Amino acid sequence: MKNGFFALLLIAATGLLMAPVSANTGNNGQNADPLPATRLLPADSAAEARLIEIYRLTGAGRTREAMVKAEHLVHDHPNFQLAQLVYGDLLAAHARPVRNFGDVPESLAAGTKDTLAELRHESQMRLKALRERPPAGTIPSQFLALSPRNKHAIAVDASRSRLYLFENTAKGLNLVADYYISVGKSGIEKAAEGDLRTPLGVYFIISNLDPKSLSDFYGTGALPINYPNVLDSKRGKTGRGIWLHGTPPSQFSRAPQATDGCVVLANPDLDYIIRTVEVRTTPVVISPRLEWVPPHSAQAESKPFEAALTAWRDAKSSGDIDHLLRFYTNDFHSFGKTLTEWVPSLRSEVDRVRGRSIQLKDLSYLRWTDAADTMVVTFGEVADGSLTGPTKRQYWIRQGSEWKIFFEGIIG
Amino acid sequence: MKLGCTPLFRPVRLFALAAALSLAAVHADEYSDISQLIRAGKLAEAQARVDRQLAAKPRDPQMRFMKGVIQRDTGRLADAIITFTRLTEDHPELPEPYNNLAVIHASLGQNEKARAALEMAIRTNPSYATAHENLSDVYARLASQAYNKALQINGNHSATQPKLVLIRELFNPAATGPHAAPTAPTMQAAVTPPAARVTAPPAKPPVPVAPVPVAAKPVVTATAQPAASRATPAAAPKAAAAPQAAPIDGQAKEVEAAVRTWAKAWADKNMAAYLSAYGQEFAPPGQLSRSAWEQERRLRITGKTRISVSLLNLNVTIHGNRAVAKFQQDYKADSLAVLSRKTLELVKTGDRWMIVKETSGA
Repeated sequence: MKNGFFALLLIAATGLLMAPVSANTGNNGQNADPLPATRLLPADSAAEARLIEIYRLTGAGRTREAMVKAEHLVHDHPNFQLAQLVYGDLLAAHARPVRNFGDVPESLAAGTKDTLAELRHESQMRLKALRERPPAGTIPSQFLALSPRNKHAIAVDASRSRLYLFENTAKGLNLVADYYISVGKSGIEKAAEGDLRTPLGVYFIISNLDPKSLSDFYGTGALPINYPNVLDSKRGKTGRGIWLHGTPPSQFSRAPQATDGCVVLANPDLDYIIRTVEVRTTPVVISPRLEWVPPHSAQAESKPFEAALTAWRDAKSSGDIDHLLRFYTNDFHSFGKTLTEWVPSLRSEVDRVRGRSIQLKDLSYLRWTDAADTMVVTFGEVADGSLTGPTKRQYWIRQGSEWKIFFEGIIG
Repeated sequence: MKLGCTPLFRPVRLFALAAALSLAAVHADEYSDISQLIRAGKLAEAQARVDRQLAAKPRDPQMRFMKGVIQRDTGRLADAIITFTRLTEDHPELPEPYNNLAVIHASLGQNEKARAALEMAIRTNPSYATAHENLSDVYARLASQAYNKALQINGNHSATQPKLVLIRELFNPAATGPHAAPTAPTMQAAVTPPAARVTAPPAKPPVPVAPVPVAAKPVVTATAQPAASRATPAAAPKAAAAPQAAPIDGQAKEVEAAVRTWAKAWADKNMAAYLSAYGQEFAPPGQLSRSAWEQERRLRITGKTRISVSLLNLNVTIHGNRAVAKFQQDYKADSLAVLSRKTLELVKTGDRWMIVKETSGA
């Protein structure tokens, strides 16, 4: 029938050339997991997978089946605007040729050009993320070392409007699921309060807000992250209240660029993340474009840094304060104290551990490279003979071939 | 959209109806009388007569169909739904009750139900043009609803208006009279064995069966109703053809040319040429005024991206200044493709052949 339908077929088909559609393929899940089913099949991706199945059927010319599935999908998620758009096309194809994706009659489209463009954009981004799957067995290059305490990790790829959720297992990071997300109206690289941009960097989830305390606008919950982090503040960036949160009742998902700077997920997706991840220990890397690397190459990359960190630890163990201070930058600070102001507390720490060597427990470090090459390091600092020690975070920066510390502080 | 009013003329249905009717045949005149009453808006009177007939023959499908139409016209939609639904149960072979159910559902905004009913109508009779057109409109409405949700346009955004105009047509009680006419042939079928009927024209001359628009406006019997006339072609021309034949070869050519011009204007979406092919005495279907009908045609035709109309097996018969052109119409518009039988009756006015009646059947 309908040649006009070609465009839609084409869009759908090209989208699927290489997409075996499962967001969850990464799972060779160890079945020691008590809840394998729920954990391996996050509720949501259902909706997107169903949408993609509709594209696939349409692309294969099986429009009848596609329409039935679309009807069910919009029945289950009437606020899934993209699904409604696709359903509209499938219906309209029975009354007239459908010339392109989202072929809304001119009369309807008039006042809603922006919305239509956004929906098309959303469709493209979803397809892009499914087409450009991370190669099997690779991880985002930022995740150099995670400790067993980081049970999960999150990476956001703005170029694909996608959030990847990892489980950190004994065998390494395992991609559990990935979700379509929205970022700031003005895009990414937040610099100032009110710039409607989403920050880029290495962050951590700092709390889990009670949904009862939130307006509908935030959907089923919110996970604030620690923007601005130490590097952001050092760079004079401002703003606050950057959250991962859900969608209002009227929208299943939002446009790729729609927020005031937050990362927004569909409610079922956010729910899954909230149920799954831990506050404080879950890193959230937000990247303009993730680079996926094999874990061993990440380890090789981190050798020079590891050496620097070990040298710092040895210096601290040795008690040679002058040698130790060579590891800190001139503009170092610790919660507002300059290096000079902070040296006394460093000295007293060194005095306390004198004679004993220091162990870095539960060490994790994540690399953030933009104009600068930095490392966000977290560990428990335990002197031999002690059972526990403070949890510390350091920010390191590479100066030429040397790694130096520009922030250090106790975070727990 | 129109309320359906196809005549019951396919052999199978004929047979089924004949069987149904032979048990309790209602006189054909009764149908056409009631049909006229309905079209004249004398619904109370029509209903009284329908009720009287049904009291005697409660299962008569034509009467029940008319009852449904009256119920719908008088706003008793729930009753009409029951009436038509029971008809679909008792006569699943008839597309018309499904079609009318769809029209009522759509009028209640229940487009999904309307779609289901129309799909049944089409399953029953795959080339039932009215159901195809209606279904196409229902799809367009459903698409608009989905698009509205996609774009989060609340309620009846002004942008949806053009669609709504089309849909209002759907509620136009165009169908009312329909079944008056179809009954006529069917009734005879009841008398003569159905098989015979198909081949042999009715005993009566074409006139009563197919009330050719001799009179101008108030013609009536079935003129306006596609339903009515659909039956006609089968019967009428045969009887007519023989006597006329000889003198008018040139005239037949003229008629054929006029018909082809009409089809081309339609396919070209040349509304001026298309509408001017219809003579003054052309009676639009249903109770539509000429201008309402023209408006409907305009919306329908210009709303399509592409139309093709080809005519197959065109056969022209001439009676003096009147002509009947029968053909298979292969109509394609966008995704819609309907092959149906069409009959045009034309009258020579000055030196032009003008369409005075248009009927189609599956």
